[in-house]
Amino acid sequence: MYPRASLAVLRHEFRVMLSDPSTAIFVVIVPLVLVALTKDLFANQLSEDGFASANGSEFAVPGMAVAFASFSVGYAGFTFFRDHGWGTWDRLRATPASSVDLMIGKVLPTVTLTVVQLALLFLLGKPLFGLEVSGSILALIVLIVVLALSLSAFGMLVTAISRTMNQLNAIGSVGGMTMAMLGGAWVPVSAMPGWAAAIAPAIPTYWAMKGFQSVILEDGGITDVAGAILVMIGFGVLFTVLAAWKFRFEDAKVYFG
Amino acid sequence: MLHIEGLRKSYGDVLALGGVDLDVHAGEIVALLGPNGAGKTTLVSIVAGLRRADSGVVRVDGLNALSRSSEVRRRIGLAPQDTGLYPVVTVRQNFMLFGELAGISRAALRPRVEEVAEALDLTELLDRQAGQLSGGQKRRVHTALALLHSPRLLLLDEATTGADVETRTRLLDVVRQLAADGSAVLYSTHYLAEVETLGSDVVLLDRGQVIVRGGVEELIAAHAKPVVELTFEGVVPDVGLNGEATVDGQVLRLVTDDPAATLVTVLPRVRADALQSVEIVRPSLEAVYLALAGRRYDEADREEKREVANVSAG
Repeated sequence: MYPRASLAVLRHEFRVMLSDPSTAIFVVIVPLVLVALTKDLFANQLSEDGFASANGSEFAVPGMAVAFASFSVGYAGFTFFRDHGWGTWDRLRATPASSVDLMIGKVLPTVTLTVVQLALLFLLGKPLFGLEVSGSILALIVLIVVLALSLSAFGMLVTAISRTMNQLNAIGSVGGMTMAMLGGAWVPVSAMPGWAAAIAPAIPTYWAMKGFQSVILEDGGITDVAGAILVMIGFGVLFTVLAAWKFRFEDAKVYFG
Repeated sequence: MLHIEGLRKSYGDVLALGGVDLDVHAGEIVALLGPNGAGKTTLVSIVAGLRRADSGVVRVDGLNALSRSSEVRRRIGLAPQDTGLYPVVTVRQNFMLFGELAGISRAALRPRVEEVAEALDLTELLDRQAGQLSGGQKRRVHTALALLHSPRLLLLDEATTGADVETRTRLLDVVRQLAADGSAVLYSTHYLAEVETLGSDVVLLDRGQVIVRGGVEELIAAHAKPVVELTFEGVVPDVGLNGEATVDGQVLRLVTDDPAATLVTVLPRVRADALQSVEIVRPSLEAVYLALAGRRYDEADREEKREVANVSAG
């Protein structure tokens, strides 16, 4: 390990990310629009679930935030495929930086982007949509960070098993979207068909939504969401172990085609 | 500085390296020459730690490249075959990233970037986005990135491929300077003429085997002879030197140790009005390759391209 190397890669990745901020803007602006469109629909469902005073933003904001955070699955992989396309991957590998240094330097910016995206949506939720968080802000922050880590770890696993950019796009986008839907980010689990509700707990985003609901609607604190946090950490560890097992640094990845 | 012993590598059934032995000492430039598919890139990649060998020993500065790869990579500067730059950031930012990864502090890196940029005439390009550079400029930046930490062993894999004359001249000057400063240089190239210009030791690689090593002049003296070529209008006449003469269309080729004496002998035997031109072909690495590999250098390239095309089609 060579922390300066991780820091150099991390700084560089941020620079590359900022050279084209369209992804960052997209994952903040579009969910805000979708929250505006769907908020009222969810007010009825929340009322049926026993939250009579809810205005819908209590589900729409975390739901859209989680749904669009799932795009980070593909973005985490893109940072690797891009290096193969630019011919810089072998250059990075030929430096004294270890595989772990490179991984940390390349994944942390994606984690940060996801954290910032989630945090911004929650922050803008209050002035734009009247979102009230009844529980602990600290618990909300921990949930956001753990969700971002878990999704990025899944992104690493998808990267490890994808040989081409097309595979990454297909598995990352469809996988991320499916994960968000089955986890109850698009539609509350209470409104999902029985079979879908039954498999939802096997999806990390289910636990994120469960935690957000607890903090936003049920005065939840750290202890109330500890279970959800631990399950998401478990998913993150599992994805990381599988990614480390499958990732071959020397394998060529096809950027186009 | 670099010691390679019994290095073997296969890709499935295809043998890329079949037991290569090679030493490159400090201050020495060794040109690794061979047609496409000879195993040059595989060899360079294994030394740089990018690929694993099936067997064999690679030591850099006395360190085992497999078991102490991080320490070895500190001593190595690699310019891979394909140009590798981050196009969306500036040239300076590319330099800063790879300089830091090579272990240079940011404070020491800033003047070093200026120094390396000046050597390759890149100073005015430092704050340009790398993606906006011309092909030759990118090639120079690509090579310069490998020089930032003054590596003890510089690995250049076809560094001048696609480069213009000016770029090629500058790159070769920098390589010579680096060797003069005590670095070992392993310079993989496809171009015979370039090696003759570089005047370095040559390792000729063919089908994953080192077929010969030596200085250019030494190899030519040992394995190649001058050729006198006489081109005729119409049929090539019989000049009575059957053992040394070959006919290729309208060209009569005479392999000889003494071109002047051969001409004195042959010219009186041909009609002046039938003779179109006379040329003495200086012995070259091309002739060395022909003598040792049993095929023309460009023919080896064509064979390789045909094999690649067949594999792609299959």
